[in-house]
Amino acid sequence: MTRLLRRTTTARSTEPATDGGEAPEQPEETAVATTRTPAVATTRTPAVAAAEAPGDAAPEAPGGATTLVEGEPEATDGDAEVPVRSFPATWQKAALVSAVAALLLAGSAFFHGAHQLTSTSSARNHALTDAGATARVGGDVGEGLARIFSYTPASDDAVERSAGTVLAGRAARQYADLFAQVRAKLVEQRITLSTQTVRTGVIELDEDSARLLVFLDQTSRRDDARQDEPTATSAAAQLTVTAKFQGERWLIVDIKAR
Amino acid sequence: MTRPVRTPAGIRPALAVALVLTLAAGASAAWAGRDWYAAAHDDSAAYAVQRDEALAAGEQAVQNLNTLDHKRVEQGLDLWESSTTGALHEQLVEGRKEFTGQVRAARTVTTARVLSGAVTELDDRAGRARLLVALRITVTTPDSKSTDKDSRMLGELTRTDGHWKLSALGQAPVGGTAVG
Repeated sequence: MTRLLRRTTTARSTEPATDGGEAPEQPEETAVATTRTPAVATTRTPAVAAAEAPGDAAPEAPGGATTLVEGEPEATDGDAEVPVRSFPATWQKAALVSAVAALLLAGSAFFHGAHQLTSTSSARNHALTDAGATARVGGDVGEGLARIFSYTPASDDAVERSAGTVLAGRAARQYADLFAQVRAKLVEQRITLSTQTVRTGVIELDEDSARLLVFLDQTSRRDDARQDEPTATSAAAQLTVTAKFQGERWLIVDIKAR
Repeated sequence: MTRPVRTPAGIRPALAVALVLTLAAGASAAWAGRDWYAAAHDDSAAYAVQRDEALAAGEQAVQNLNTLDHKRVEQGLDLWESSTTGALHEQLVEGRKEFTGQVRAARTVTTARVLSGAVTELDDRAGRARLLVALRITVTTPDSKSTDKDSRMLGELTRTDGHWKLSALGQAPVGGTAVG
């Protein structure tokens, strides 16, 4: 930009009148440049250098040349016209460029802001914010846990069957292993297990996966024929459960004791 | 005089391009602005932030209230008091002297680690929340024997001066009646 200006001034240095006429344009340019924000100024410089090369230097240099050839009286006449005409043109250009730059800046700032707001981990977690989905996953998981961890000698197959509708993936394998271990003991000692979901809290929830913290109470009763009263013991359990929404309900895919 | 030099044909397309650029920039700015406005005024986003703040503050407070070193009882109890508000806070302040004596006599060091926590209820207007916390408490006796105990707790949080503090804390009962 400075190189261009210098070239035009050296070209016109032969004529003092034109030089004086062009003078107001230079402060205009610098004034515009300084009032701009630094971000705009940096994006603008290459564009302006390219845009102003044909616009400012090329048409005005021949203009200056013609005045030189045509002589003194004409030159003053032309001088009076050149600043008047070129002022709005530069202003318009500058205004347009800065408007576009400002709009692009504003647009990207808004875009960035919106992205930051919606992509936070808080916003992506629908636990409690989506009350319906939160209640649903809590209900499905709580009910499922109560069902699979309850056992009566009479409902031996029922437990395994319901496990298929509650569990999937790793949790299904864990459960099968666990059940295989304890089954013999449960049958032999005629133990009845009843499990209640005491509290359910949804830690994380999105469209089709969720993590929950569940407090369970498990009561085991031993139907001992030698005693009149069955002996009961209660135990507390804290589980973190991972669930996936599959088909029509939430299935438990992982269980960790806490 | 200079009119024939500055050909209108050379300016008009440039102006048109510039206008189109301006309009395009304006349209994209408006579109992005609308997105931003929607995101910034999304109630559920603000609610989600409150939920996460309540959970973080609640877990920290529960951990604080299950941590105490007999060598630094005063600092420990100061932390207890700064983590609580309401009835629980008053209770702690009242029982402070007696409790300090007990802990110094027992010479135990208690530390706690939160295993998992979840907010179960949140009223962000009233500034109240409930949470579940599963934690492991380690008690070390003077003869440096330590025992771990898993605990499950129910806490109630109240927002005071923009901060979530515990206003009630208790063990989740075992063998009681089931409540959602």
